[in-house]
Amino acid sequence: MPTGFFFILPAFLFIFVFMLYPIVSSGYMSLTEYNFVYDEAPTFIGIDNYVAAFQDDKFVTALTNTFVFGISFFVIVMLSSLCIALLLFQKLRFNSFYRSAIFVPIVVPLSLAALIFLWILQPNYGLLSHVVGDVLGWHALNQPWLANGTIAMIAIVILASWASIGFVTILFLAGLQGISTETLEAAEMDGAAGFKKVLHIILPSLRETYVLTGTWTIIHALKVFVEPMVMTDGGPGTSTLVLYQQVYLTAFTYFDMGYASAMAYILGAIILVLVVVNFAVSRIKADKDV
Amino acid sequence: MKSSPFSLDRLNRVWINGVLIALAVLFLAPLIYIFLNSFKAADEIFLVPQSILPLNWTLENYAAALSGGFVGYFTNSVVITVGGVALTVILSSLAGYGFAKLPFRGVNFILLVIVATLTVPLVIFLVPMFLMENAVGLLDTNLGLILPNVAVSLPFAILIMRASFGAIPQEIEESAVMDGAGVMRRWWTIMLPMARNGMVLVVIMTTYSIWGEYTMAKTLAMDPGAMPLSVGLTLLKGEVWQYGVLAAVIVLAVLPPVVIFIIFQRHIVAGVAQGAVKG
Repeated sequence: MPTGFFFILPAFLFIFVFMLYPIVSSGYMSLTEYNFVYDEAPTFIGIDNYVAAFQDDKFVTALTNTFVFGISFFVIVMLSSLCIALLLFQKLRFNSFYRSAIFVPIVVPLSLAALIFLWILQPNYGLLSHVVGDVLGWHALNQPWLANGTIAMIAIVILASWASIGFVTILFLAGLQGISTETLEAAEMDGAAGFKKVLHIILPSLRETYVLTGTWTIIHALKVFVEPMVMTDGGPGTSTLVLYQQVYLTAFTYFDMGYASAMAYILGAIILVLVVVNFAVSRIKADKDV
Repeated sequence: MKSSPFSLDRLNRVWINGVLIALAVLFLAPLIYIFLNSFKAADEIFLVPQSILPLNWTLENYAAALSGGFVGYFTNSVVITVGGVALTVILSSLAGYGFAKLPFRGVNFILLVIVATLTVPLVIFLVPMFLMENAVGLLDTNLGLILPNVAVSLPFAILIMRASFGAIPQEIEESAVMDGAGVMRRWWTIMLPMARNGMVLVVIMTTYSIWGEYTMAKTLAMDPGAMPLSVGLTLLKGEVWQYGVLAAVIVLAVLPPVVIFIIFQRHIVAGVAQGAVKG
């Protein structure tokens, strides 16, 4: 065996036991019926779990909610992060303060951030009710915010965006710093300035950054779990129930391990397809321009 | 920093600063709100209309937090984070060196497999992880959370360490070989000190991810005695909240990562940006 192999082996063992083997194992389990509490061992049933999923109202609701969340999250995070990065890419006196403020949510544990947001949204004594009622004077608007399905979904999108925008902004800033000074100077010589320059020179130069930020944001959009778990329990009703959460509940509340594995695989497949599409689209655009 | 791409006139400067101040306030508001509330007495928290600043600053919530059951969650978080980070740093330093400096047939395939796991959602691993840990009695133990946390932290850590070792000139390695240094000695005494920046970045990033990890902890630690802060505190939701105490505990739980962030901000941002450009 080559020496390099022995340096990699310990790390690889961890990854094998806790990630690679589980991928295979849950792949097999998704083809079985296996209730952890009642069944001695998994029974092979072929693709029945996959067929059942698409006839299961809760699964379809969870899938729809995941996409509603995912699309809103993707659009908000990508656009705001890009705009914030453009603003921060300036010589400003308080630049490092702005950066700290916008980046700091990245390091706050998400479940605790969800608790803080839950508190802010409490009726009567939460911050939002205070601002809407006492500060702005719109007392009639005040309500138990999370009892409304649409507002609950918006709250989850806002929390997730608050937690993610800083990181994506860092990636965009790195992209901006990678644009060569010559490109920018040449554009200036041609008389491009301000908004025009952003539109024609800077935005097209960020192509690689879009692949990176897009991939990251897609993965995180579809993996949403902590926010609805802590803030809404998927409620009111099933209005914020997401796919990840439905898998979790199926596995660890109902102990239906086979069915849960099938749904987890469907989620994994969706993520994979979207990541590949995102990659391909960015590539095709790049080729056209060359 | 590289020079700005825009030449800003006065008017632009005013509105850009205005927008950024508004954004900074929005991003900081939830943290400042919980911080201020942690110094309010119980009756003041339920005051309507509320006062943003505490009327009477008190430390009673912190005193209650330190004497309550929160200490157990805190201890678990510390043990799991320290153990997980230490293992991740050691294993990724070994593997990163192997990938960067000791290539062999098939090494790129192994790297590809490891990187590919980054796109797999954690939820796919959860059921097998639960069944394995149940079989060997690791559920509800700190070790049972350290091990899977190390595994999911490793792919990214390995990428960072591979890049750090890769940046060290090949001549240094070669001259050490000429001097007759064995591979373990080269790794430990020559290469590892030169990859220091990568190790710092791995320590910081892994600390954040393990300290805040929720999903595996929720699945593998069902007994409150085994839970870290990220899961234990959410149990209080829905019961009659001891709001003031909760605020104090949240502040204590959020403070360590925030302080680390403030100290190492430049390093972290540069590291992430560099990784982004290379990756």
